[in-house]
Amino acid sequence: MSRTAAGRRLWASAAVLGALAAGTAACGTPAEPAGDSPAAVSAPATAAATQTADPTPPSGPVPASSPAAQIPAPSSIPVRPATPEPAVSIPAPVRVEVEGTGISLEVVPVGVEDNGAMTIPDNHYQAGWYKYGPAPGADAGSSVLAAHVDSRTEQLPIAGLKDVPPGTIVTVTREDGSVQRYATEKVENIAKRSLDGHRLFDRTGEPRLKLVTCGGKWLEAEDDYEDNVVLTAAPVS
Amino acid sequence: MRKTVTALAAAAGLTAAVGFMTPAAAADTAQLSVLHGIPDTTVDVYVNGALTLDDFTPGTLAGPLDLPGGSYDLAITAPDAADASAPIIGPVTVDLAAGGNYTAVANLDATGQPTANFYTNDLSMLEAGKAGLTVRHDAAAPAVDVLANGTPVITGLENPDEKSLTVDAGTISASVAAAGTTDPVIGPADLTLAEGTHTFVYAWGSLEDGNLALATQTIHGMESAPNAVPGALATSDEGNGGALAAGAGAALMLLVGAAAVARRKHTAAARS
Repeated sequence: MSRTAAGRRLWASAAVLGALAAGTAACGTPAEPAGDSPAAVSAPATAAATQTADPTPPSGPVPASSPAAQIPAPSSIPVRPATPEPAVSIPAPVRVEVEGTGISLEVVPVGVEDNGAMTIPDNHYQAGWYKYGPAPGADAGSSVLAAHVDSRTEQLPIAGLKDVPPGTIVTVTREDGSVQRYATEKVENIAKRSLDGHRLFDRTGEPRLKLVTCGGKWLEAEDDYEDNVVLTAAPVS
Repeated sequence: MRKTVTALAAAAGLTAAVGFMTPAAAADTAQLSVLHGIPDTTVDVYVNGALTLDDFTPGTLAGPLDLPGGSYDLAITAPDAADASAPIIGPVTVDLAAGGNYTAVANLDATGQPTANFYTNDLSMLEAGKAGLTVRHDAAAPAVDVLANGTPVITGLENPDEKSLTVDAGTISASVAAAGTTDPVIGPADLTLAEGTHTFVYAWGSLEDGNLALATQTIHGMESAPNAVPGALATSDEGNGGALAAGAGAALMLLVGAAAVARRKHTAAARS
């Protein structure tokens, strides 16, 4: 290895370290969901299977003595070309801001880790958007944006999420430059263990924005916070 | 016809395994979709003797019909038939279990004769980020391979068989080629496999007549949510540790960082 290459490598390592110190130091890798059984790791259904190729479902079943009486009338059965469904294309979010709080984060699309947890950017100035769920602006379901909180200092604005009052305007800027406006409905502390029951990742209900970070008690043994702080906001025109 | 009977028998076997449903369970109805996969032939479809699909055209998908679990006779007739007494296909008997999801296909068998294939749709939950893909051979054609982005992902599929895969959600370029070859007889066509959905793709038509085509049916709602939104410290570098602990912590974080980058690349590669 030449001196130059070695120097470059050293420099690169230092840069990575610097970036890590600035970004990842306080909120790093997702912890394994401690205490959860393997069964709990395979996340449960968020909704019963439904067939959405059906715009006008047949009228409800009529009690009858024989199945023949329950054959739907031809006019009630949806028929469509068996062609691929068009890909849904909603501009991705690129920034989220909570008015009056200093919370302003770049948004990047994220998926899941191997352990089944949502991926969170290793950078305190970014929030992850759960890209498999609804995007801000979708007709239904919850758009989930999540960011780390700096557990050492709790000095970054996101630490104030837990104190955001109802009515606070939250804006999401999308990649096409359009802005979605939301009004805060509530901010909750949800125990991480009961996250599933809160339908945080709901895909079918009313359109909502969910801005998530960590909060509650720091659990030394689990290297994690006890709760997720979840701000729920509804679209405003 | 023999193969159709096999498929029907398999379906019947499945129903038997599930057992008879009580009336209470019947609140959970079965869902039956019907696909028309015979070229150039408009038909009527009768269920238990009742006209159910009128002037049903090739390449269209009807339903799902919500039906109480039970046994049903399906008959396919000419579009001007007065009743189901002189069917082109059937009557075939299908057993629908409450809570089940099925697709009946009017199609050509491998030799080009009209028949009906009957399938049970797999609605298993999918891991986050995944999509289900099932390919069904309902065409007058020999065994085929299915290619995604030019690479065979299903090989040696024969009428009336089906094969299923779980894939990363995304858009693939899908094509169908004669088994052992890569020269498309259908496609390539872009196919978007949305996360949490299962897409059923039917190859139908006739190789000899040059009208092979793909039909698709997508069923939604099998997604899984992430099981946590983490926010943990990677390592504790507060307290008494001093420079040594901080250094060790930084080294660990460097490793963690590298792993994260590697993981992201892997994900990106898998997605492309």
